[in-house]
Amino acid sequence: MRTVITQGIILTRVDYGEADRIVTYITPDNGKLHLMAKGARKIKSRLAGGIELFSLSDISFAPGRKELGTLVSARLREHYPSITHDIERVQQGYALLKLLNRLTEDDTEEQYFELIRTTLQSLDVPDIPLLLTDLWFRARMLTFLGHQPNLISDAEGVRLDAGSSYDFDIEHMSFRRRPDGSDNLSAGQIKAMRLLFSRNSPSQLHRVTGLEGQLADLEPPVRLMSAHYLS
Amino acid sequence: MKNSDVLLIEPDAELASTYRRALEDDGHNVRVAHSAQSALHLADEHQPDVVVLELQLTDHSGIEFLYEFRTYQDWQTVPVVVHSIVPERVFQTSRLVFRQELNIHTYCYKPTTSLRQLRATVHALKV
Repeated sequence: MRTVITQGIILTRVDYGEADRIVTYITPDNGKLHLMAKGARKIKSRLAGGIELFSLSDISFAPGRKELGTLVSARLREHYPSITHDIERVQQGYALLKLLNRLTEDDTEEQYFELIRTTLQSLDVPDIPLLLTDLWFRARMLTFLGHQPNLISDAEGVRLDAGSSYDFDIEHMSFRRRPDGSDNLSAGQIKAMRLLFSRNSPSQLHRVTGLEGQLADLEPPVRLMSAHYLS
Repeated sequence: MKNSDVLLIEPDAELASTYRRALEDDGHNVRVAHSAQSALHLADEHQPDVVVLELQLTDHSGIEFLYEFRTYQDWQTVPVVVHSIVPERVFQTSRLVFRQELNIHTYCYKPTTSLRQLRATVHALKV
């Protein structure tokens, strides 16, 4: 039996029969894998320790003829215990794992694996605000899926002005100058949004002075984009 | 009507004892687990009709238990009564998703839920 060795983070687990589970992993080099974990429902299964959520495992599997392979072994490599000690973080973790699973195909690229790994690492740090990790995750997903907003020029093509306020135009994924609008975003907030959509991780963004104070203002447009393009 | 098999998941031994006695007085068969893992083991041994769940557990949280619990076909429709020190407003942004996705029948906030109310809630689910 040929076996393949890789790393994986579990996205979902479902019951299969009386004793088995089907586990979906996201991996750096094999996309998403759907693997049968035989006997995983039993308490003393040798696989039980390696199929926990919110963890990165070294896994070996036997590829199947069709889409379902067989999990041979799983050994915990990184666990993120702080997530499980905080109910809100657990709930958020589940929500983001589910979102990633829904929005990705089986032959997904390594960037999605790195995205969820960084997300779990961030959720595991109690000092990093949950909202920061959540908005950052959504911003990265929007970018990967080709829905990054225009953060350079407004809807008219004019470079964003440091002295102006703007509203966010979801149709054009850009900003419109609307000085007397009710949903104004200042140049400072747009700058904060640029940071959010940058390649910086939540732990790096956490160190940016003043960014976390802007999150409440950034949340509505990011949630709007998320509702449009990530649902 | 058969007595309901209640799986009570409560980390505090004294509270668990109080709730168990009250529910048994109402005619239910009650099995008590103090952790998420032991709750799964008990559910595996004795199919519950109702689950009463504290979310603030010592090891894995009640949320984790619920997500794991609902991945098993046998347990997807078992009514769950959350009876917790965690207020539901904690799940503000995802409350509807939280309830629907995890099929939570009733959410009882412990400080404002009397024992009589808890008993009435469980009794209303008697199968």
